Amino acid sequence: MVELGETFDEAAVARARAIADAWERLGHGPALPAYVSVVLQFDPHRVSPEDAERDAGDAIARADSAPSKVTGRLIEVPTQYDGPDLAETAEHSKISVDELVRLHSGREYTAYFLGFLSAFAYLGRLDPRIVAPRLARPRERVPAGSVAIADGQSGIYPLTSPGGWRIIGHTDLVVFDPAAPDPALIHAGDRVRFVRR
Amino acid sequence: MMRIIEPGLRSTVQDHGRREHMRLGIPPSGPADPFAFRAANALVDNDDDAAAIEVIGLPFSFTFDDRRVIAVTGRDASLTIRGRLPAWTSIFVRAGETVTLRGSARTRYAYVAVSGGVATPPMLGSRAAYLPAGIGRTLRAGETLPLGTSASGAHRAARTVEAPVYDGQVRVIGGPHTERFTPDVLARFYDATFHVDETSDRQGTRLVGPPIVPRAGELLSCGVIEGAIQVPRGGAPIVLLADHQTTGGYPVIATVIEADLGKVAQAVPGEALRFYRAGRREALDALRADLRALDGLRPTA
Repeated sequence: MVELGETFDEAAVARARAIADAWERLGHGPALPAYVSVVLQFDPHRVSPEDAERDAGDAIARADSAPSKVTGRLIEVPTQYDGPDLAETAEHSKISVDELVRLHSGREYTAYFLGFLSAFAYLGRLDPRIVAPRLARPRERVPAGSVAIADGQSGIYPLTSPGGWRIIGHTDLVVFDPAAPDPALIHAGDRVRFVRR
Repeated sequence: MMRIIEPGLRSTVQDHGRREHMRLGIPPSGPADPFAFRAANALVDNDDDAAAIEVIGLPFSFTFDDRRVIAVTGRDASLTIRGRLPAWTSIFVRAGETVTLRGSARTRYAYVAVSGGVATPPMLGSRAAYLPAGIGRTLRAGETLPLGTSASGAHRAARTVEAPVYDGQVRVIGGPHTERFTPDVLARFYDATFHVDETSDRQGTRLVGPPIVPRAGELLSCGVIEGAIQVPRGGAPIVLLADHQTTGGYPVIATVIEADLGKVAQAVPGEALRFYRAGRREALDALRADLRALDGLRPTA
């Protein structure tokens, strides 16, 4: 695991992604970039840990000298703002529901990385006027397509699953389709805009 | 073709997993007990990427429409055809014979490899089932599974692999988040005997024991791998297994070495697990010893 610091910003997330790309180009195995870290995997039967360590150092150096210029696609997500936590979150943020919807849909998010669930993209950042701590009691069942917010970020549940984010709406877009050649609607580095329906 | 007669509770087709899509948040899946799975494939002369069956819950029985070499592995596993036969052994099966798996109350995962491999259509580059995302499904009574061409025959039967000892003594490499725990808590982790919680599954083995509470402070989510021992704030560690999430926001106190993953996965609710520090060298040596045990089975050129 490569750690890049304790607090994250767009630059740190992009750097983690660039290191992951450089590692995966070596063909040793997959990389898992996140906010300020990258897990680099390799098969010790094929690559010795010493060689892997040296190659990881090279990958980091290469990523830093040629930062990723890829800006990703822009994906529009038609959203109905009808989630069960919408009113309470607006109240908690001391703004109207309409204002919350305007703030949430009125900006472009960056997909930092995917994790938690298959094809779940962490989208940053939320307007700071929206105050949305995670639910104290996670729900046992959040439907697929739920548009949710928590801790300064937004996301769309690709599968029906348990979850602790605040649900403010839903989309009919299919976020995860394992039968499709590209199973994930959103990839890390893509830009996302929620469009009110 | 393989016909399932009794499907067990939650048996699935698995192969070595779909690691190429972990970056999309898709768990690797694959067998919960990697060595048992690998041994079963090796015993029937399959490649390591061949698909086989992971059996959860007995009874499990099946039959073929042609002759095959099979191997059953897993904790306390055995099988019957006409009489009782040992697991961890390659066995020649004639067309139409009924093979029935046997086990004990401690048989959590058993594996059935068939020469030629299970040839169900791959999804995202792998035949491994991942049920929460609707990839693959549990096997059903009466269904048939396509098989690949068998490269084995009766002369390849009766080879054996020594079954591992599922003794709950698990070797780990410290970290990567050792600094998130006080020395006292780390000492408690390595001194403690944990017990397996009944909510454990293919996603992870949940442990009950003395509280292992991380230092205060948030951890930004990071990538996690099989064997990582996550410690949520409540202090009850979770060892991640094949169907684990690809990122997690809990500190990882230690990581189980690959060779010992099966000991964790196969432990049944209430059973004890203890963790021992190992070095990188020991982890690699253990893995190499496992592979050497299987390499001896392959036909020599």
